[in-house]
Amino acid sequence: MGKDDDVGLLILIIDTNPFIWSKYSNTNKSFTNVMEHLIVFINAYLACRHDNKLAVIASHYNESKFIYPTNDVVNVGPRPANAYQQFWQVDNSLVNSLKQLALSDTMEDKEYGYSMISSSLSLALCYINKIIRLNELESIKPRILVLSVSPDSSVQYIPIMNCIFSAQKANIPIDVCKLFDEETIFLQQATHITNGVFQNVEDSSMLLQYLLFSFLPDRSLKSVMVLPDQEQVDLRASCFCHKKIIDIGYVCSVCLSVFCKYSTSCSTCLTNYSLVNMKGKYSNPSSPNLNK
Amino acid sequence: MLYIANSTINNTSESIQGDVSVFLEKLSDEEFQRLYTQPATCLAIFRLLPDLAKQFIMRLLYIKKEVPLEHIKGWCYEQYIDKVNESLRRLYKLHICTKNENDEIRMSTVFQENLNNALIGAGNHTSFGSASTSVDKHKVNIEFLDKHGTEQWEAVLHYMVGANIRKKPSPAVLKLLERSGLMAKKDEDVNDEYKVFNRVDINELQITNKGFQFLLQDVNTQVWAFLIQYLNMVDDLKMDLVEVLNFLFQLGSLQLGADYSVESLTPTQQQMLNDLKHLGIIYQRKRGSKRFYPTRLATSLTSGSMLISKPSTEDSGFIILETNSRLYAYTDSPLQISVLNLFVVLKARFANMVVGMITRDSIRSALNHGITADQIITYLRTHAHPEMKKNMPILPLTVVDQIRLWEMERNRLKDEKSYLYHEFARAEDFQEVLNYAKQFDIVIWSNIRKRMLVVTTEGHSKVRAYIKKRIGSRQSNMHKQQQ
Repeated sequence: MGKDDDVGLLILIIDTNPFIWSKYSNTNKSFTNVMEHLIVFINAYLACRHDNKLAVIASHYNESKFIYPTNDVVNVGPRPANAYQQFWQVDNSLVNSLKQLALSDTMEDKEYGYSMISSSLSLALCYINKIIRLNELESIKPRILVLSVSPDSSVQYIPIMNCIFSAQKANIPIDVCKLFDEETIFLQQATHITNGVFQNVEDSSMLLQYLLFSFLPDRSLKSVMVLPDQEQVDLRASCFCHKKIIDIGYVCSVCLSVFCKYSTSCSTCLTNYSLVNMKGKYSNPSSPNLNK
Repeated sequence: MLYIANSTINNTSESIQGDVSVFLEKLSDEEFQRLYTQPATCLAIFRLLPDLAKQFIMRLLYIKKEVPLEHIKGWCYEQYIDKVNESLRRLYKLHICTKNENDEIRMSTVFQENLNNALIGAGNHTSFGSASTSVDKHKVNIEFLDKHGTEQWEAVLHYMVGANIRKKPSPAVLKLLERSGLMAKKDEDVNDEYKVFNRVDINELQITNKGFQFLLQDVNTQVWAFLIQYLNMVDDLKMDLVEVLNFLFQLGSLQLGADYSVESLTPTQQQMLNDLKHLGIIYQRKRGSKRFYPTRLATSLTSGSMLISKPSTEDSGFIILETNSRLYAYTDSPLQISVLNLFVVLKARFANMVVGMITRDSIRSALNHGITADQIITYLRTHAHPEMKKNMPILPLTVVDQIRLWEMERNRLKDEKSYLYHEFARAEDFQEVLNYAKQFDIVIWSNIRKRMLVVTTEGHSKVRAYIKKRIGSRQSNMHKQQQ
């Protein structure tokens, strides 16, 4: 249980993949609509405690970058007297960075690219580590929230899993808010393993309510408040050789790498399997245990 | 057997009130709804609430109709029902939510609208302070404001401890000090002619026990304690309480280092500017200036502790406490030294530090001033040197325990009203009464050899009736005596 003087640190990862968002550009699920909801949520989070910390990472199709805080000085003119200083500053910085991100997309990049979720998670974990080390005297309770719109890229399976296990070890919950009905089994696993919240938003005109209900309570309240739970978790893995998501496969007995096809040596740890014991004994591919 | 010292402690510690939410609960519904027309106030009050209540507010913020109480209880696990009720009680008290006869919760629409305005920055209320439009020719930076705020505030505290008074606080501040009971007139017998000529003579005021406790609080609590006293005086000053509160909450939302325009303030609030200036809460270059700067005292009003918001290390902690009760304080501030002097025997003083010992006598003298062990320990902990803060626990346990023991030492005696029975003529009589009394567990003390028995007040009637019954059959010389 957290104490009252725990400072929250929220790392928000926004999936900004333009290939997905462009599909919804003229509906009420458009990027700007969703961002409006998200910004109110960010303000609500900052309102909860004056010292709540925030970082926002854009997970784009070709890069991941921090969009808040940034080093760019944004000049947006004087603050209107109706806006709270902190909200005004964060919101403007965010909107400005998102604009720049959109403008930097060149027309040549027509080929579909997956969102860089794994690198965003790594960035988030590094940032959390840095902040905790910088503020040794305060007790900071970090968490990560991913706003996910794009499907899994099985190429990123290994780095994503590494991030998940690092987060688990560092006791950092990863929450996921899934917006469109794309398949995201890796992120489901992330919430399952790190004890986070997974929320599938069915009606995105109500996104703000979903966000306030499921993702606003900070870590100390997670044991008090009833938060959405996953009924079923898809724990399938992706193979290391062809990056396919598989139900049944071969597992290296030494390094536990997963393969969809049988081979004589492990491509990850270079172990040569002695085939003598293998032949005839194990015909069932679901038990490729090579131990004697 | 009566021990009085305790009662004074209890009275004084209750009255140092650094929590504005307790003050707020006294307001009427109409006043609350007027308060909530300012988004800055909504935000500030929202931040004062317990974590769970904040979540409730956020969940209810966009629901424009009644919500059954059962639903809200269903948001939390059953074993935390106490916490839920406590949070809801706070919301009722602050008139943010109301419960109707069908057990349905409804949020105040004014609050709903204006907290939303605060979140989205809408409306036309200028409650977050309108920045000056022109550029200040005499612009001041944050360091200056910090210095100014600290100096002004410490001048008041200096005055309280009587450490070399450089500047006498303004009459308004003196009045506050007296009204809040932090300082009192030294002697009521001062002759009257003298008073007429010097209405607020500095020598007349002397720090009280409550004042000593006040000194050990963190700055934020001190400032609030002062402001709450100010709020209590608002009626005398013919000011509108709601406007005053709104302005205080607005101050808490301002940005340090920015200058704000005086023009958008109401006349009441402009009058407040003058009063707050003397406490170092705001800075105005000269009287009647069209702009003002909030200092850190103001901007941290609604954001909790000063120490967190202050990045510099020099102020955050300076005390090193060793397990042998020796204390090193890296400070040259006469104020801090005189505060330490309340419960430490200072042995040596150097240019940048003082060395002292915590002894039984020094702690006892502090306790006699009405300071509690907890206050001393909290003070030591919050002002611990950054090197000390790396330890877990921060303060050496031996010393902390010893301070607590010294406090408990004074509470060895507990007073309780009771009745003493003695001079029983025969041992059998005594034994029978004692046995009877023991059945009801009302014996506080008894001595068989001296034939004395002490029972509680509740048990007195029983024992008396029993003895009377026995006297009816046999003459007995019993005396009872109330003590």
